[in-house]
Amino acid sequence: MSFRDIDEIIKERKDNFLLPMLQAIQAKFGYVSETNAHYLSRKTGIPFSKIYGVITFYEMLYTEKKGKYIIRICNSPSCYLNCSLNLIKFLESSLKIKSGETTKNKKFSLEIVSCIGCCDKAPAMIINNKVYGNLDENKIKKIISGLK
Amino acid sequence: MKITINNKEIECQPNKTILEVAKENDIEIPTLCYQEGFEARAVCRICLVEVDNKLLPSCSTKAKEGMVISTESKKVLEARKINTELLMSKHIQSCFVESKEHELCKIAKNVGIRQAKFDSNKKTYIVDKGIAIVTDNNQCILCGRCVQACQMQNVNAIDFAYRSYHTKVTPAYENKLDDSVCVNCGQCLLACPVNAIYEKDDTKEVLKALKSKKHVIVQTAPAVRASLGEEFDLPAGTLVTGKMVSSLRKIGFKKIFDTQFGADLTIMEEAAELIKRLKENKNLPMITSCCPAWIKYIEHFYPEFLNHVSTCKSPHDMFGAIAKSYYKDKYKINKKDLVVVSVMPCTAKKFEIQRKEMKKEVDYVLTTRELARLIKIKKIDFNNLADEDFDAALGLSSGAGTIFGASGGVMEAALRTAYETATGKKLEMLEFNQIRGMSDFKEGSIIINGKTVNFAVVNGLHNAKEVLEQIKNKECKYDFIEVMACPGGCIAGGGQPIPTNKEIVEKRMQALYINDKNNTIRRSHENPAIIQLYEEFLGRPLSKKAEKLLHTNYIKRGI
Amino acid sequence: MQILKNSNFRALSKIAGMKPEEVIELVKKSGLSGRGGANFPTGLKLEFTRSSQGEKYVIANADEGEPGTFKDKLILEKNPNNVIEGMIIAGYAIGSSKGYLYLRGEYSYLKNKLQKVINNAKKIADKLKIYFDIEIISGAGAYICGDETAIIESVEGKRGNPRLKPPFPANQGLFNKPTLINNVETLANLPLIILDKSWNNSFRLFSLSGNITKPGVYELESGASLKKLINLGKPKNKIKAVYFGCSGGCLPYEDIALNNEAVKEKGAMLGSCAIIAVDEKHNIVDVATNIAKFFEYESCGKCTPCREGTMRVLELLEKISLKKAANEDLELLEELCRVINETSLCGLGQSSTAHITTALKYFRKEFTDKLK
Repeated sequence: MSFRDIDEIIKERKDNFLLPMLQAIQAKFGYVSETNAHYLSRKTGIPFSKIYGVITFYEMLYTEKKGKYIIRICNSPSCYLNCSLNLIKFLESSLKIKSGETTKNKKFSLEIVSCIGCCDKAPAMIINNKVYGNLDENKIKKIISGLK
Repeated sequence: MKITINNKEIECQPNKTILEVAKENDIEIPTLCYQEGFEARAVCRICLVEVDNKLLPSCSTKAKEGMVISTESKKVLEARKINTELLMSKHIQSCFVESKEHELCKIAKNVGIRQAKFDSNKKTYIVDKGIAIVTDNNQCILCGRCVQACQMQNVNAIDFAYRSYHTKVTPAYENKLDDSVCVNCGQCLLACPVNAIYEKDDTKEVLKALKSKKHVIVQTAPAVRASLGEEFDLPAGTLVTGKMVSSLRKIGFKKIFDTQFGADLTIMEEAAELIKRLKENKNLPMITSCCPAWIKYIEHFYPEFLNHVSTCKSPHDMFGAIAKSYYKDKYKINKKDLVVVSVMPCTAKKFEIQRKEMKKEVDYVLTTRELARLIKIKKIDFNNLADEDFDAALGLSSGAGTIFGASGGVMEAALRTAYETATGKKLEMLEFNQIRGMSDFKEGSIIINGKTVNFAVVNGLHNAKEVLEQIKNKECKYDFIEVMACPGGCIAGGGQPIPTNKEIVEKRMQALYINDKNNTIRRSHENPAIIQLYEEFLGRPLSKKAEKLLHTNYIKRGI
Repeated sequence: MQILKNSNFRALSKIAGMKPEEVIELVKKSGLSGRGGANFPTGLKLEFTRSSQGEKYVIANADEGEPGTFKDKLILEKNPNNVIEGMIIAGYAIGSSKGYLYLRGEYSYLKNKLQKVINNAKKIADKLKIYFDIEIISGAGAYICGDETAIIESVEGKRGNPRLKPPFPANQGLFNKPTLINNVETLANLPLIILDKSWNNSFRLFSLSGNITKPGVYELESGASLKKLINLGKPKNKIKAVYFGCSGGCLPYEDIALNNEAVKEKGAMLGSCAIIAVDEKHNIVDVATNIAKFFEYESCGKCTPCREGTMRVLELLEKISLKKAANEDLELLEELCRVINETSLCGLGQSSTAHITTALKYFRKEFTDKLK
């Protein structure tokens, strides 16, 4: 296991800001593994328990490997009023996973999330930083099959 | 300035919280997440008061001139009741019952909760059974007192994780406490208001051993005699040495010995080690090694300075080593038949005896609380017991051994012996008052054979960290440092009766110093049993035999 | 829209010739107040922070998380110059040289574009000898980080738990230093106030969504009629209720003036001006359950009433939805809502039950119809 990437990340954050460091680790590895978090703790002096507490507090930081595509579908009122529940069910049945889970081939993770600020395109979802709005089943089918 | 509480006008100083003012005026406000000496988190929302039709937490709200406060208005009582209901439903109802009712139960009773309004907690957690400490998140109400205590110790083994009602207190990545940097000091456990953290229970094992045909002997640490009475509703600071000894005999131990004998032995070895290091000017400052929580702390966080730590085993382990060699031979006991039990004010000692380096010299450690449970199980009427004495030889000790239980005691005892054995002169004044008391950083100096020896006494691991940082930065002016992990020393250990707070600890401390003063032998090197042990068995301090039996080495753990 | 007028950093040249106190005076006179929902007078906030001693920080709150609100996103997308310029103006006014733009994780796709604007702004400001550094800190998915003290904790690398107030950020904020925290819309208005004497304080950005066919951000004068706004949204079915985000509560759909006072008089809160329209095809208990799920999920878990209470509220609403609840459950729900509102530590908890209290006030029958 090489920690050179993490050394680099720590060097870049002279102010020791934890959140950006964790985000950088996640950007590199897809999640923050126990080994990497422990290394970060040893190098920065930030308690290991605190690092874990911070990762688990924020929904977009992960302690486990997620799918290549993380589908974050909104179920807050504006999307809910526009039938997001049906779309969630549709996604769950077509991906054969429940919310919070990852497909066996590690291609997709599905998450039901709070408002993503796309109420003007409700129902909406974000997949790896890209917004998809005004969804219906057909649209979702196309989007999913377009993801390689 | 003037404020009004419950229609009563009260004169108070500015810059105080409502809770503080209420306390000064004997007005009771129930609290839960608040603990003295720590920043108020104000999260439990139990200590609510009403001001201007608004509910405010009294622990964090400053009293202001002219404020009109009600501590038991209808609004306050209703809200307090609901919040207590919410916490009770989080907390498993059939909770582990200590000898005393825990804080949440008391509050629930006071606000009139008979039956929980909400279903019990939806989540269940696996109980983490550690070598010394058990944590049960099913009972945790997330007040955060344990997290604060752990942070205060600079250990940070546990913290909050997750959010919403999934929030829990845990070591990183759900690891077991034993696999974390936890030093087993047990300050978290003393802080917990609901017994979600408690010591690993060894009473059953000890009872089993007592029932067998084995030769089970027991030793008791100095701090236990100054606190055990509290478990039987005696006032804090009552010395119950005689009753403790007689209850142990009633429980069925073959011999009742005193860890203070081990403490005297420790002093003999440690004083000799200090003088040797001073002479050779090597590995200074020397730091004491009696406290197993402190040892694990330095092994984790500052392993590069382990050479500064005295190689002496802790007193009860020294005792164990002598019991399983000298005592066993002298009384012709079969090695496998001899069981050594220690009664300690400490949870970390449970961990210590399992260290490989200790070679099972002590078989079981019971905390003060566990001994009290044992006495209760055996239905012994503790308060009406006649006083009895420790058994001869290994039960004989000096006043120097007694004060081991208080912060500064090991240093004082060591200085008495180091000075007198090195110079051959008697100390005019035996008491080293500058290193007594609750202050968490104490220092002084003494001239031994023309050389000034600077010493410091710290308690609480955040102070230990400070000293270690001084060593790291080559700014440390001390030659000898005593470190105890718990604030106030062993009398405030994680195995002591609950509550353990500053006021109670001070009383326990005083009891130990009075005990020392009343002892006819006050120097470890004058303890006749110790003199005999060296004559018959060990030879002299730091002899080959002594090194083998009474000294140890440490592990670089890292974080 | 007034808010989308690109000031193009011209306000910076203007303030370069002004004293900080003069800038603050101008903002005070403008009447601008916090557009994140709390409506605190911006000029006063600047003044308080300026009067605090020592190193200071500016934080732009771009953690727009209130469901139904997306006006800040519009500004960040369409007129980011003003936001960055506003931060520099605020820094100049209070005497700070370091600012953080806390961008919610869900808006990360805007990060690169914003960074370019920051780099450009830096060059212009440097030439004017206004020295101010801005760094973007990305959030990571926590609604609570819209709370000003939770943002501070988050930037400091902690869990986003709100702090106790006092002390207020203007005295002890980021790293315990005086800190000015303002919402994106508030900051974006600053350059306009500096440049344009005809700047109109009464314009508000309404985020309109829900059961309508033309959702979007509409700029209307404060006090505009709700009916006018809803008609702009072209609802397909009859609208029965409007929700002011998740934390502002709901009102039956009738014509009222969209200003703080009028909405408050009815028992709800206008907040960040999010309007979610609900048509008659939806049951209010279902909407309440959906919103309760949101709060249960987003509670930071620090204080008892919010952590345990939001979970119990959801439990009770689900029980009502399933027609398993009795009248006493409804009474318990009301009592619980009151205590959560009165005793929670921060605004999230305190406002988490407004949607139920108002729903029970105006749509009680929909609840009682479901009792067993």
